[in-house]
Order: sequence, then C-alpha cells, then structure tokens
Amino acid sequence: MINMASIMTSKYLPAVSAETTGCVGRPDWLTSELSTGTTIAAIEFDGGVVIGADSRTTSGAYIANRVTDKLTKVTDYIYCCRSGSAADTQAVADIVNYHLNFYKMERGEEPLVKTAASTFRNLCYNNRDSLSAGILVAGWDKRNGGQVYTIPLGGMWTRMPVAIGGSGSTYLYGYVDANYKPGMGKDECLKFIANAISLAINRDGSSGGVIRLACITKDGVERHVLTGDQLPKFYEDS
Amino acid sequence: MSIMSYNGAAIMAMKGKECVAIAADRRFGIQAQTINTQFEKIFEMGPRLYVGLPGLATDVQTVSQRLKFRLNLYELKENRHIKPKTFLSMVSNLLYSRRFGPYFVEPVIAGLDPKTSEPFIASLDLIGCPMITEDFVVSGTCSEQMYGMCETLYKPDQEPDDLFETISQCLLNAVDRDAVSGWGGVVYIIEKDKVTKRILKGRMD
Repeated sequence: MINMASIMTSKYLPAVSAETTGCVGRPDWLTSELSTGTTIAAIEFDGGVVIGADSRTTSGAYIANRVTDKLTKVTDYIYCCRSGSAADTQAVADIVNYHLNFYKMERGEEPLVKTAASTFRNLCYNNRDSLSAGILVAGWDKRNGGQVYTIPLGGMWTRMPVAIGGSGSTYLYGYVDANYKPGMGKDECLKFIANAISLAINRDGSSGGVIRLACITKDGVERHVLTGDQLPKFYEDS
Repeated sequence: MSIMSYNGAAIMAMKGKECVAIAADRRFGIQAQTINTQFEKIFEMGPRLYVGLPGLATDVQTVSQRLKFRLNLYELKENRHIKPKTFLSMVSNLLYSRRFGPYFVEPVIAGLDPKTSEPFIASLDLIGCPMITEDFVVSGTCSEQMYGMCETLYKPDQEPDDLFETISQCLLNAVDRDAVSGWGGVVYIIEKDKVTKRILKGRMD
C-alpha cells in the first residue's frame, strides 16, 4: 500500500531567491505556482452526464497554457473536472486512475462512479493541509446511471444533479439556479453547460480559451471543443 | 497581488511614416473579475497628442485629470498647443512630485509636433523617468508579451493603414497571454490631418 502523504507533501519552489544584485526581481510567472484558475461544470441526465471546462492555466497573470484539457479520464466511463493547483489535481487524478485500474482488474467489472468519487475524496481529505484541489467527478455506471459528485477544497463529497466549480463558478450560481430544470435531455444539457462556461469565461480573468465538453453514457465518451465564434454569445454593450 | 496588476492593462504606441499609433485594451477589472469592457485608458491632451495610462485605475483617472488641468493652464499662458516633448517633461514632473508615494501609472505618450508634424512617442515609469524611442513603446501587465510581439512585427516607416494592422496584431496577441488585460481593444491612428479611432474585436476572455 503506497503512502499517499509522502507523494504529495512538498510543493515545488524555485531554488533561486527573488533578490539578486542589479536585477529587477523575478517576474510573477517564474515564481507563481501553476493554477487551473478555471470554470468547471457537470450535469446529470437520464442516461449519462455532460461535463465541461474552460482551457486556461495561469501562472500569476501569465497564461501558461491556453488550450489545457481539464477533463481528465480516470476510467473509460468516469471523468473528473480539475480546478485549483494544476500539479495537485494532476497528481491526485493519476493516483485515482491507478487505483481504479487495479479495482477493475481484481473484480473484472467497471468501477462505480461512487467508488471513484470516494477514492478522490479520501486523497483530498487525508491530505487536505497540503492540497489545493477542487474536483468534480462525473460518469456513468450500470447500477445508478449518470452521476455527478462534487469534492470541494476540504475534502467533503456529495452527489448533486448539477455542480459547478473553480474561480469562475461564482458567476454561475444565479444562472444555474434560474435555468436548471430536472429531466433535461442530452442536447439541452450540452447547451446548458456550454452557456454556463461561456458566461464565466466572459467575466473571470482566470478562465478562458476554448470550451471543452464531454458526454458520458453507456456507449462511452463523446468529446467536443467549442472555439472562437462557436462560443455561445451573450449581451455585451458594444 | 502586485498593485500594478490589481486592475490590469496593456498599452502600446508605435511610430510610422508621418504618423503615430497608440493602442490600449478596454478592460476594467478588479483582480480576476471583469467589471466593464469599455474603460478608456487613452486620453486626448491636444489635437494631435494622446497619452495612454496603464496601472491602477483610480490613478489612471486622477493623473489624466490633473494632467489636463496643467495642460489647460499651459495653453492659456502660452497661447499655443504644447509640443509632445514638453508634455513629456510635464508628465515627468507630475509623477516625480510624488516620488515617495507615487501614482501607480506608467504612461505612454504618442503625438505629432503641432508645428512640424514630426512623429513622437515616449514612455515613463511610475516615478517619472522619461524614455523616448524611435520605434515603439509598451506599458502594462503584459509588457513582456508586448515587447515580444513588437520586436517581431514592427517595421519602420509604415503607412497609416499598415501601421494599424501591425499595432492591432501586436496588442491582440499580447493580451491573449495575459489573464488581466484584453476584452477588446482601441487604436488611435494620428496623422497630420486627421485622427482615426477604431475599436478592435478581440477575445472576450
């Protein structure tokens, strides 16, 4: 059994000090930890889930990656949406992927979404002092169909029909409360998530780039990307 | 977060053939949140003289108002329009007068001499150190990105229409790598007989 705590203890800090004689001091983007600033969202429907995210990774104010993929596979039918520290969330997702592969091999069947979410939760809770990770786990399994679980900063978990996360999600609470209705179909859900991400991108400096969407059903995963003009448009004066 | 990147901005000016261009982004935000996408950062100080002010938004507005006040008095006393180089000294003096509690702006000046129509561009740091250049000046939260774009795309003695294309591409591509600037752009092309203001459509993220 691998000791989880030791893998994820230290955050990388540059070895050079900020002050050097005659220099102006290191720019923000050399010293700041990489953050997936972010807007993520996920929604359940009868038959599966739809998940979406923006594609911006920042280091301070510098955009280190403008085409990031924040929708990460943990099994063929379960994905996670990552927000917070890029390093922390990548490390945690890799470990969960390892665990679920093991589980599948031992039991000969696909893991439940609840199992995946529980594994995420255990890592996030037990290492809560060192991690900065807000994760949405979403997927399909044959026992309970489409499910979305949210695992915010401290490591609690709960299942929700629709969940949002990341710094851009603050701009979406009103939109979700006003527009979500249970019983939406797959295409309605795709539109809903795309609209949500687009609204957040417009207002949040840490979110931007393209909108990545994925739809997970019993038939597997269908991925989409919305770029440039394909992003849903809303009122802007001018 | 640094005080110069609290609001975020990107401004640049370029020299062309008997013309100058000055361009800015249009975002007004508070840290990561965008409040307005029509925030003016370039101010007219004379018929062919413009100043761009990136930095803390409150100081952008205060400095432009205080500068306009000094300029109005100058024009009343001297009964003529100010030369760009003299205006540069005026800005420098205003900023240095606050040497130990500065205005958090790093201005960019672009204009044509009122008599000879000679193009002029310059920039200053927040305590008033002036710098006059022959090609381009940049200032703001993505200055490194803007330097990269300008060094690559700039050519001397471009016609106004070509200068517009060049400065637009420099600005738009630089702000696309900065989380706190962008959300549209505005470009002023200043020629001997006219000034053209154009709004750029850019990524709104």
